[in-house]
Amino acid sequence: MTIKLNVINLPKDDYQGGKSSLCAGCGHDQISSVVVNAAWENGLDPRNIAKMSGIGCSSKTPAYFLGQSHGFNTVHGRMPSVTTGAAMNNKDLTFIAVSGDGDSASIGIGQLIHAIRRNLDMVYILANNGVYGLTKGQYSATADIGSKKKKGAVNETQPIDLCALAVNLGCTFVARSFSGAKKQLTALMKAALSHKGFAFIDVISPCVSFNNNEESMRSYGYVKDNDVELHTVDYIPHFSPVEEIEVPAGAYRDIELHDGSIVRLETISEEHDPSDAVAALAALHGAEAAKKHVTGLLYFNADKPTAAEDQNLVSTPLVDLSDEQLRPPKETLDKINSGFLD
Amino acid sequence: MRQEQGLEPDKEGYHMDTIVNDFSINIATANGTGSQSANLILLQTMADMGVNVSGKNLFPSNISGLPTWYIIRVSDAGYQAPGDRTHIQIMMNKATWEKDIEACEPGTLIIYNSDAKLPVERDDCLVFPVPMTKMARGLHPKLARMIANIVYVGVIAHLIDLDDAAILSALNKQFKGKAKAIDLNTQAVVLGREYAAENFGDERGKYRIEHREVDEDSFMIEGNEAVALGSIFGGMTTLAWYPITPSSSVAENVIAWLPKLRHNEDGESTCAVIQSEDELAAVGMIIGTGFAGGRGMTCTSGPGISLMYEFIGLSYFAEIPCVIWDVNRAGPSTGLPTRTQQGDLTMLYEASHGDTQFPVLIPGNMEECFEFGWRAFDIAERLQTLVFGFSDLDLGMNKWRCKGFEYPDEPLDRGKVIRTQEQLDAIENYGRYRDVDGDGICYRTLPGSGLDPILYRGTGRDEDGVYSEKADVYEKNMSRLKRKIDNSRTWLPQPILREEVEQEVGIIYYGSMENTIQEIDDILESTGMMVSQCRIRSLPLSPIAEKFVRDHETTIILEINRDGQMYGILRKELPIELVPRVHSVAYSDGLPPRAKLYAEKIMEVLRDIGATEEVLA
Repeated sequence: MTIKLNVINLPKDDYQGGKSSLCAGCGHDQISSVVVNAAWENGLDPRNIAKMSGIGCSSKTPAYFLGQSHGFNTVHGRMPSVTTGAAMNNKDLTFIAVSGDGDSASIGIGQLIHAIRRNLDMVYILANNGVYGLTKGQYSATADIGSKKKKGAVNETQPIDLCALAVNLGCTFVARSFSGAKKQLTALMKAALSHKGFAFIDVISPCVSFNNNEESMRSYGYVKDNDVELHTVDYIPHFSPVEEIEVPAGAYRDIELHDGSIVRLETISEEHDPSDAVAALAALHGAEAAKKHVTGLLYFNADKPTAAEDQNLVSTPLVDLSDEQLRPPKETLDKINSGFLD
Repeated sequence: MRQEQGLEPDKEGYHMDTIVNDFSINIATANGTGSQSANLILLQTMADMGVNVSGKNLFPSNISGLPTWYIIRVSDAGYQAPGDRTHIQIMMNKATWEKDIEACEPGTLIIYNSDAKLPVERDDCLVFPVPMTKMARGLHPKLARMIANIVYVGVIAHLIDLDDAAILSALNKQFKGKAKAIDLNTQAVVLGREYAAENFGDERGKYRIEHREVDEDSFMIEGNEAVALGSIFGGMTTLAWYPITPSSSVAENVIAWLPKLRHNEDGESTCAVIQSEDELAAVGMIIGTGFAGGRGMTCTSGPGISLMYEFIGLSYFAEIPCVIWDVNRAGPSTGLPTRTQQGDLTMLYEASHGDTQFPVLIPGNMEECFEFGWRAFDIAERLQTLVFGFSDLDLGMNKWRCKGFEYPDEPLDRGKVIRTQEQLDAIENYGRYRDVDGDGICYRTLPGSGLDPILYRGTGRDEDGVYSEKADVYEKNMSRLKRKIDNSRTWLPQPILREEVEQEVGIIYYGSMENTIQEIDDILESTGMMVSQCRIRSLPLSPIAEKFVRDHETTIILEINRDGQMYGILRKELPIELVPRVHSVAYSDGLPPRAKLYAEKIMEVLRDIGATEEVLA
């Protein structure tokens, strides 16, 4: 039997992680497997990836994928700042971050906002289930109005739609998907990995233990029945000749990503223009009013410098600089001492 | 001119022997009126005349309008603390007028802006009314308020004999060669001087500045700028910061110096600077920097440290190097944001929840602010932990004389970082948290290196970095962490001793108290008491500090806080038999330490414990 290798000649096994300790059927495990597939199929070198997370069920998942990558399971809600520091010092790394709705919509919402504002070059996966898992089933700030978790009362508090927030903040890549929609999620994940800038993917990822009952608007059943896809998403990698790709019968829109790959959005009913922030917000608010979940690539903007680019740093990653590059020479200090370098 | 109240020449002795280079000037102004320029020009002028001078800015937490005092101490004896009394009072602020006059002791020279139209009824003082606003308005109506301050520079130049060339050079420095500003302000100085000469002539009191030999290698600088320069020479790769008084100027100086020191010919930088959304993010960013293998630093003050606590614990436990400079202001809470204190010491030393301990570097002068600025990174990377630099508002935001910075005498210490497969192979049974060398410090690999990856976490883990909640694994790891920091006691910056032969009373002190200790010592000596001194420059405590306590019958721990924080640390760490020998003298009112006040408190404690008679006998 021959082992299938990817474009950089690595088997998929090289992208696997440790055994998950999450509940059987947890949506987060499906996200992990999508990360493995996307990274492998995109031919990313796992040694050049850094896995980042905060605290919560979702933030445990970096242990379950990309075992050859370094990672940092940081503190609750504050992963974006750690990623910011790491990204400044090694801009050659690809950052794949996983966060939850407690992490991102509550305690860490400030850091999320500012990472978006700076257009930090990273993939930010929000595993969004509407409840706190590790503390056993409290509502999170993304719980939908009228939704009811397994135990307790119906949620009556307005949720925070982090995709709408991201669009408003000028986030350069905003997508929503569902952990049960493997094909769509994989295509979006690959596109996010090809994007230079902040790529936000809000993945509705049902919690089988506390929020998968019939009255919940984030259960597998509900999301499956109420998933409104904006388009069918395909990903065409830059190393694969375009002519080999089947041209869809209907209308479609190709978006070129920073590494030359293409994300192809095939129109389903009405065409969604991902460069139109107002259209993205209309789709989100419309879905919310109809108690639906809209999925797909909501918004995309290729023309914004990243946080590291804004710094105008030298081309060599800062961690690879020599002592001579990091410490000015003695003559310079002598000049400061004698007042000649003011 | 003598005031109309008519002061008899012999009354307060202002005709007695002239006092040279030994007096204090207090300048009362309102915040935001540009008085800081005038004050710094005065300070720089005297410094350029070779005179030992120090300046203290007592400013409010306010942009404009609230009262500010600037105290200039001139001292041939080398004293840098604010003196015990004011000899020359300059009055520019109506709001504090009455109180400022009241505070003047008999014989004080009072220079005041007569355009304030407020009375100065002190026939026991020598008063000098000057219509500063009117004069300034004549020069530049729009900038009159600011220029008026420069006028008093000219007036005082006449009264105490400041050198014209030195003033001009100070003006040049202050206005950074901007011809228009220099010209306008020079005119204001000349006007002030001419007015004073014409109206007061030789009746100008007894205080004079005389030239001293100028030390060409020395200059005046603020501690925050010295720290900034040190960090740049320390190879810092990321500064993340959130503005907070009194630390902001550390970051602002880094930003100002980086283009000259760390940019290549294309203007590209080797150091990132991020103004973060809050202090939590700032410390997160420098932990991210350390994780990646860079050198990260943030600067803050007490409230910022409080916010950073959770992350600080992560750095300790996950063993990620980074550096935090705490420029202490008076706490707790918002406290007195523009006043000084050594009140954060214990919160740094054992920062965060659970059992922790951090190296704390405590500079006492400008040279050390620079040195610890670069050395902090070496220590952080060597120990793979967060290192604190501990400064305060007095040290950080006031100008001090500096004898010049010494270039780092050793290359960057990047610690135990494995960079190649060969290095990794040479280590038997590598694990991120395995103590291969027995010094408590483990080897680490960096992301992107492709070498033995680790998922860092704040949760329990075993020697290979794998999640673990096992009791013995946790305990062993915590013991190693303690050992790792403990081992640094002998090689962190060691105490500086000045020992007397008698070895009866010793004083342990640290940080900015360095600038007052000489005067305290002289006061104590004048009572016949010879005391040894030990200046602690880092925590955890050096064995030298313990020996100092052992060698002296009584040791006073002198510090600028209420509770005696260093005293508490000593009590905890000294062998039990030495504990009865240490006594606390701790006092803080937000102001820089005045020698007399602290000397009296030392005497009081020595009297209370019955040590004085013995010593004096």
